[in-house]
Amino acid sequence: MTLSRSVLYGFVALVLVWLMIPVVIIVPMSFSDSRFLAFPPPAWSLRWYEAYLGNAAWMQATRVSLIVAVASAVIATVLGTAAAYALNMTSSRLVRNLQVILFLPLVVPIVITAVSIFFVYANVGLLATMTGLILANVMLGLPYVVTAVLVGLRKFDPAQEMVSRSLGMNRFRTFFIVTLPQIRPSVISGTLFAFISALDETVVALFISGGEYQTLTKRMFTALRDEIDPTIAAISSLLTATSFILVMLLSLNARTGGKK
Amino acid sequence: MRMKFTTVALLSSVAMLAAGAVQAQQITFVSQGGAYQEAQTKAILNPVAELLGITIRQDSSPDAWPVIRTQAATGKPIWDVIDTPTKDCIRGGEQGFIEKLDFAQIPNASDLPDDYKSPYSVAYEFYSSVLAYNKDKYGDKPPQGWADFWDVEKFPGTRALRNHPLATLEAALIADGVPRDKLYPLDVDRAFRKLGEIKPHITVWWTSGAQSAQLLADGEADLVMAWNGRVAAVEKEGAPVGYTFNDGLLQFTSLCILKNAPNPDTAVKFVNAALTPEIQANFPTYIDYGPANPAAYDTGKISPERAAQLPSSPANAAVQALVSEEWWSSPEGEEAQRRWASFIQR
Amino acid sequence: MAVSHTGPEILHERREQRLTLLLLAPALAIVICLLVLPLLWLAWQSIRADGGFTLVNYQRFLTDDIYLISFLQTFRIAIIVTVVTLLLGYPVAYAASMAPRHWSVLILAAVVLPFWTSVLVRAYAWLILLQRRGLVNSALMDMGLIDSPLLLVNNEFGTVLATIHILLPFMVLPLYATMQKIPRELTMAGSSLGGSPVFVFTRVFLPLSMPGVIAGMVLVFVLTLGFYITPELLGGGRTFMVSMLVSRNIEIYHEWGAASSISVVLLLSVFLIFRLSTKLVPFERIMGTR
Repeated sequence: MTLSRSVLYGFVALVLVWLMIPVVIIVPMSFSDSRFLAFPPPAWSLRWYEAYLGNAAWMQATRVSLIVAVASAVIATVLGTAAAYALNMTSSRLVRNLQVILFLPLVVPIVITAVSIFFVYANVGLLATMTGLILANVMLGLPYVVTAVLVGLRKFDPAQEMVSRSLGMNRFRTFFIVTLPQIRPSVISGTLFAFISALDETVVALFISGGEYQTLTKRMFTALRDEIDPTIAAISSLLTATSFILVMLLSLNARTGGKK
Repeated sequence: MRMKFTTVALLSSVAMLAAGAVQAQQITFVSQGGAYQEAQTKAILNPVAELLGITIRQDSSPDAWPVIRTQAATGKPIWDVIDTPTKDCIRGGEQGFIEKLDFAQIPNASDLPDDYKSPYSVAYEFYSSVLAYNKDKYGDKPPQGWADFWDVEKFPGTRALRNHPLATLEAALIADGVPRDKLYPLDVDRAFRKLGEIKPHITVWWTSGAQSAQLLADGEADLVMAWNGRVAAVEKEGAPVGYTFNDGLLQFTSLCILKNAPNPDTAVKFVNAALTPEIQANFPTYIDYGPANPAAYDTGKISPERAAQLPSSPANAAVQALVSEEWWSSPEGEEAQRRWASFIQR
Repeated sequence: MAVSHTGPEILHERREQRLTLLLLAPALAIVICLLVLPLLWLAWQSIRADGGFTLVNYQRFLTDDIYLISFLQTFRIAIIVTVVTLLLGYPVAYAASMAPRHWSVLILAAVVLPFWTSVLVRAYAWLILLQRRGLVNSALMDMGLIDSPLLLVNNEFGTVLATIHILLPFMVLPLYATMQKIPRELTMAGSSLGGSPVFVFTRVFLPLSMPGVIAGMVLVFVLTLGFYITPELLGGGRTFMVSMLVSRNIEIYHEWGAASSISVVLLLSVFLIFRLSTKLVPFERIMGTR
């Protein structure tokens, strides 16, 4: 028993280490002095951080990506939570089957999604616009939010809503005062997934973003065709660090919120 | 005080508008971006702007062709002059997106050989697909041309070619014994047959210039067909990499003007000025690509040592083959490109 | 005053239904406009040419062998990736569901951590590590395990490895969700009745975890079918997945007809897989909402 246990945990540890490897080696690569991506780096320097932070085009792309990721995560959270709430309370089979549509963005191969969005945008003039980017990422984020919130709602005891409504509160107040605080961790995890998916989204951005409104990933992809240098490692390290801090803050918030 | 400031601002903006109306000469120039566009901004665009007293607005597009088509479709393009693979100028001209050039107004173009011109385009700068190799691996017996690239007995090692038929088919034919000046029209079947021989020995079919440089710098591939500027950059970083212009496939990008361009007259003036020998001779100061105007080599601005590193210098051009963009934009060329994908995957 | 009792109730129910639709509408509208309608247009496009009906775009599947090659390679990669992620992911999810709470949180955190690093950048990290003179090959050679460097990247192997790395969380999370719900009492009852650990695992735990297994497999398989960035960067030009075929047809050849017929066939395969799997496990379970 103990032997099989230790074999199991040993194997799991190996898998987890393997998962971490690329994430971990990117940080030292970003401090490299070499013009090419190399590991281990031959010498150390901050030049790739300077190359990134001192370049107006990179900064503009970063701004675009952050605005798109935050805006689309927030909008997807609102729309996705509303949709999940509706799906949860309905007794109609037909309506429940509609949820298949909401999961399409996750299961349709991303290139096909990109082609679809490109086609729509080319016809309505949303190519290379901020609105277009945000809308597309709202759609891609919806499945994550709906999934997370539905899971939260399923754990939530509907009797609590009944009680509060029998006390005379209307549906909206009940939702915000009784339901939302309890499903908050689910909503936050949905938001986070929508945020990451928007920040990391590359394929759709390749098709629909351009000009002034290029996302960071699109710029990285085209820059990599031009030069494979450690700038992308520097960008990635900074982004990982930023998101990490964000998650820490949010999970701290979620925990204290839950205790209250 | 506040009133006064507004008045001043108003007046000065009116003045600026008036000045703008006088100095209306401007064009939008499009190139392929990155280090290449930065280099030519210093080498060509700034001197030309000064020479003509015009404003050059820049845009960049690594693959201009779809954009050209889209702009042409609207009938009101926003670009004037593009620096793009010659093929796009020619097929664009044939499909009515690109204006015919009036060479009477481009006197500087008379320095260029006829091969460098088409009714729609004129050569702008040269690069070459050369054979690059790992110096550590081959020591004092480096490969000399495509026949050596194909010789896996004499030159063992990993190989990389571009995942694109242009220049690659030519290399295969040269390796198969076709003389450099008798390549066209390409014998496509023969080229693919010859490529089939080397295919099992190719470790990477690269898709971007950056990738070919990384392959050389990391020693991932010992023999690589790569663009000369890329190889030179890797060499400068101290990697043990060498290359030869022998059997190199000389290519050039061209300048062409969009049909219904917003500033057609200034565009023609720009094209002529960009071909000025003295200005063309600035290219090698900033990047390892060669001037298109051979007269640039007579200006004294390019040292003999530097000329030896440039693809278009007379001595180097003599040992290379000039890629025919005209053939590649012909139906046979388009068909060869279609055949490529199934060749690679099979 | 003889108002029947059902009156207000029906009214109430209608109001409920209207509210439900109202809440669903914005999300549905976005997906329908940006995805459902253009997909229908793509399907329409694939059978149209010069204003008439045509099957020419589908005939290419029989005449142009690049289509077949690409689909076969894509499905082969998807099968390999699905099987390996299951083999790697099952023990991880099992350990997370069995371990004490703080350990399981840690394991799950480690599983989702790579999400925070861009897929693009991770691809390059693998490229650097796995190339001929990369860390892995030099370590293996230093240990004397191999004489000459192995080809670990710029081929299908590299593509598969990086794809597994990206998709492993999509296997572990549904597995964990299912395993967590398996009552401990059941496995304990199995052991107290004298079942060996192997017996308890194969007869009690494994069957109960099957919904998670199927959910994870379907998700990973379907997501692999759509992979684009990873094979493009790590395939060395020889790995040619269906997504690349679609994008080449649009970006290089501007052939919407060809691209749309490929998309339609790929989409139908995806839907077919879902249809078959929902016979075994409800859709909501695959998506992890139940």
